[in-house]
Formats: sequence, structure tokens, C-alpha cells
Amino acid sequence: MQVKSKLLFLSSLILIFVINLFAGSIDPYFYTVIIYIGINIILATSLNLINGYTGQFSLGHAGFMAIGGYLSIALSTYFAPFFQNTFGTGVFGEAITFIIVLLAGGTAAALVGLLVGVPSLRLKGDYLAITTLGFAEIIRVVIQNMDVIGASQGFRGVYIYNNGVKAPQMVQDLGEMSNIFYAVPKFTNFFWTFLFVAIIIYYVHNLINSTYGRGFLSVKDDEIAAESMGINTTKFKVSAFVSGAFFAGIAGVLYGHFNLYLNPEDFNFLKSVEIVVMVILGGMGSMIGVIIAAVLLTILPEFLRSVSEYRMIIYALLLIIMMLTRPQGLFGFKIKRKKL
Amino acid sequence: MRFGGLTCVDKVSTVVENHELVGMIGPNGAGKTTVFNMITGVYDPTEGDIVFNGESIVPYKPYEVSAKGISRTFQNIRLFKSLSVKDNVRVSFIKNIKSKYFSSILQLGKFSREEKEIDKRIDELLEMFDLLHEKDEYASSLPYGDQRKLEIVRALATSPKLLLLDEPAAGMNPTEKVDLMNLIKKIKELFDISILLIEHDMKVVMGVCERIFVLEYGKKIADGKPEEIRNDEKVIQAYLGDTHHI
Repeated sequence: MQVKSKLLFLSSLILIFVINLFAGSIDPYFYTVIIYIGINIILATSLNLINGYTGQFSLGHAGFMAIGGYLSIALSTYFAPFFQNTFGTGVFGEAITFIIVLLAGGTAAALVGLLVGVPSLRLKGDYLAITTLGFAEIIRVVIQNMDVIGASQGFRGVYIYNNGVKAPQMVQDLGEMSNIFYAVPKFTNFFWTFLFVAIIIYYVHNLINSTYGRGFLSVKDDEIAAESMGINTTKFKVSAFVSGAFFAGIAGVLYGHFNLYLNPEDFNFLKSVEIVVMVILGGMGSMIGVIIAAVLLTILPEFLRSVSEYRMIIYALLLIIMMLTRPQGLFGFKIKRKKL
Repeated sequence: MRFGGLTCVDKVSTVVENHELVGMIGPNGAGKTTVFNMITGVYDPTEGDIVFNGESIVPYKPYEVSAKGISRTFQNIRLFKSLSVKDNVRVSFIKNIKSKYFSSILQLGKFSREEKEIDKRIDELLEMFDLLHEKDEYASSLPYGDQRKLEIVRALATSPKLLLLDEPAAGMNPTEKVDLMNLIKKIKELFDISILLIEHDMKVVMGVCERIFVLEYGKKIADGKPEEIRNDEKVIQAYLGDTHHI
């Protein structure tokens, strides 16, 4: 079983690499949708670890995504000359640069996750949801007011002047002085996106199916019993939260380096809700269900372009119908009761 | 132990020796479960001390108390409902395993061997309690008696030195009760542990326990061998009432 999952992981990596070779011939529109599907799978699966498996209702996933996204594009633009001089501009050099910004984005999100998680995971249910929601809004508002990353106008790159001044907009006083514009580099492609899709599926699957990982499920089921059986529930909750935040950060990095433009409004409350909807629709704690829900909810808006203003209404209706007919989610398991 | 102005358990002191099977009895609301909650760290006693193996365990959290070697079952069954029978027991092994977070994901080192070892030990424990045929069922789908037994298995899997059983025979019929009590005696010998149990059924308690202490309104009113308790005036009063008031 364990050898099998490793083999499956490695072969999927090779498959991703091979498909990536033909990525150029895919229609750009479909290509974009496919990348978004990948990013949403990463977001939904990482949130599933927190909400689904560990049972801690977090509504702040967009906040972690924003941290990863903004930090990474700031790095890859402000430090573009440094990266280009150190690693070169070849495929290999870009790959190293991207790995560095990916890890930086993920780590920053994870660290913030730790800071937010330690105090707020003492709360339960609605209170935790409100706290995480508030946190995500704080992140968004802070970004909205940070001029170095474009504030509310969004961030697409940096002007670097001869005298060393760096700014996301043209500086009028220095207009005469020559400058170079460093746009956000388009690092994200099929390979990187689905590399991380494979990693997070492997990560969560192996974790949850190990003896240690069963601890997460026990925390969800009954904290008092888990604690009495020697489980440090706080540690489990925080570690789920932090690793969820890490992958949300990674998703933010991928998103930023694909879109080449980030706006604080990309990470508003609705984005968090969208990810939560994916998890609930797929079935809390069902890996396959959440992945399928992520795919469906990425494609669905494409078909609903003409009525895009009503997207959230459709989501709400979907959820209500779900709650009435299949409360355990599309693919969630139902606890079977043996007939006595 | 006080909750606000209410003194729930007042100056209860007793000693559980090594390999001793002690019963704790008392009318409803006497504070028996509260005593358990204080021992396991769910509540911190407002006064007094709890010493285990020569060390005060008052400042410890429940999971730390469990690490010290005290395990318990619950009066109102608290199994992990969405986990299988096997996984319910598996959770108890977590505190002792070497493969933690990242080695479980990357399946490094002794991971596979350790998982196999745990699987084997779970099977052995379930076999001993005649639950092996139900190992893949959800815990919540088990019949009531088996759920109670599974709670004991889960507590034993943490390899405790002291086992606290909170009404293990509640809701069972007399034959089941006798079987369970024999099982508890067997566990004590087999696992070489001390047991403190709460039970309402006098017959059962008298039959199995080596020593009994009685609580009433949070106070200890008697402590001794089953025969002594049977004839103790205060105990009879607590259970049957005072003759003068009838």
C-alpha cells in the first residue's frame, strides 16, 4: 500500500511533466481554466485538512492566499535584478527563482497561520469562523493601504530607477531619470501548478491515513476523549491550521505568477466563502469529493458568464439543496447504522 | 473542588495501591465523576493535591496525565463516532509513536514497521475483548455493550498504569455485568495495572472490588473492605435513607 502510493505519486509527476510539454498547443482559454482548477484544488484540499478532517471551521483561507501571493510577487519584482544576476534568465534559473518565491510565500503564510492559529484555535465553531474571517479582512485592508505593493490599485510590477528608487507606480519627480519596469514574471505553468496539486494530495492522503494522522479525525469527533487518550489537541489543531495556511500561500504564489496582477479585492470575503463552499459541497473530510467540487465550481462560472452577477445566489442555492438532500456532501461518507 | 459557590467534592482523600481494584460508589450527584475529572486533569481542583507515583499531577493537562499513565473511560460513551473500531483504538497509540507529522507523510524511517506493529497490537487487543469481527465497523454502529467494551480497549491501548472506569456496566443486564466484572479482574492481572471504578450496582461492586470507598454529597463517608461497607451505618443511610424520616 505504501509503496503503491509512492509509485502513484512519482508516476503522476512524470505524467504532469509530459503533459506540460504539450501545454503550448492547448487553447489559451482552456489553459487558464485548467490552471485555475489546479489552484482551486490546492486551496480546497488544504482547507479540507482544517475544516473537514480536523473540524475547525476556518473562514480565512483567502487571507493566507493573499499573504503568499503578495509576498511572492513583491519578491520576484523588487528583487528581479538580483534573481536575474544570480540565477540567470534561463529555464533553470527561473525555476530556482520560482522555487524560492514559492517557499517564501508558503512559509510566510504558514508563519502568519501560526500567529493567528495559536490564540484563535482556543475558540470553537462560530467563534473561530468569525475570528478567521476577521483576520482575512484585516490582511486585505492592510494590503489595500500598503503603497509598496500598489495599495488598492493592485500590483503588476515595479519601476526601478537608476538611483535605486523602487516604486509600483511611475514617480513623477523622477520622470526624466531612466527606469526599468519589472513586471510580475509569468512563472506559473501547468507543471508547477499540478506539481503542487500532486504534492498536496499526497501530503494530506498520507497524513490522514497514518496512525498519527488519525489524531486529526479524533480531534474533530470528540476533543475531550481525544485529550484523555493522550492527544495534544492544541498541537494537532495548530499543525493542521499551519499546513493548511502554507498550501494556501502556495496557491496564492501560483495565482499571482499566473495572473501577473493582484488586487486586494481578489482576496475578499467571497473568495474565502468560495473555498468553503467547495469543501462543504464535496463533503467535509472527503478528498475525492472536495477535488471534484473544486473542479466543478471552477468550471461552473465559465458556463454562467452571462449571469455572472448571480453566481453567489447560485452557490447559496446549491448549498441549500445540498443541506436538504445530501448533508454529508457529494461524496462525503455517511455513518451507517447497523440495524439491530 | 468548587464550582463558584458550590462545593462539589469536599476533602475526599484515598489511596489506590499498586495492582489494587478499588470501587467508588455513592448516590447520584455525589461527585464520583468529578473526582475522575480532577484526576485526569479535565478540572483543576481548587484545593488539595492529587499524587500519582509520587508526583503531583494537578498542574498537568489531560493529555499529559495520560502520558503519565492514567487512562479512563466515560460514563456517557465518548467514542470517535466517525472512526472505525480499529481506528478508535489506533488513536491511543499516537502518544507513543515515533513517526510523527512529517515522517508519516513521507513514510520515512520505521514508519511501515511501526504501522504494522500497531495493527498487530490493535488486533490482539480487540481479539481479547471479542471485538475483532467488528473491527472495520464504525464505532457508533456497534451494539451498546460493545461500545462500552471498546471504550475500555481504547483506554487500555494507551498502556496505562492506572485505569479509571466510569460506570463500565451501566445499562447492561445482570449476566453481562458479571461477565464484564470477570473481564475487569482478568485485565487487572493480565496488564498488571491498578483500577478505580465507579459502579452503582452494589452486588457487582461487592463481588469484584478489593476495597470500596463511598461518597455522599462530595464527602467521603466510608472506606474499607466490601464486608465493612456492607454493614456501615452511614452507607446504609445514604443508600436507603434515614429510618426516622420515613
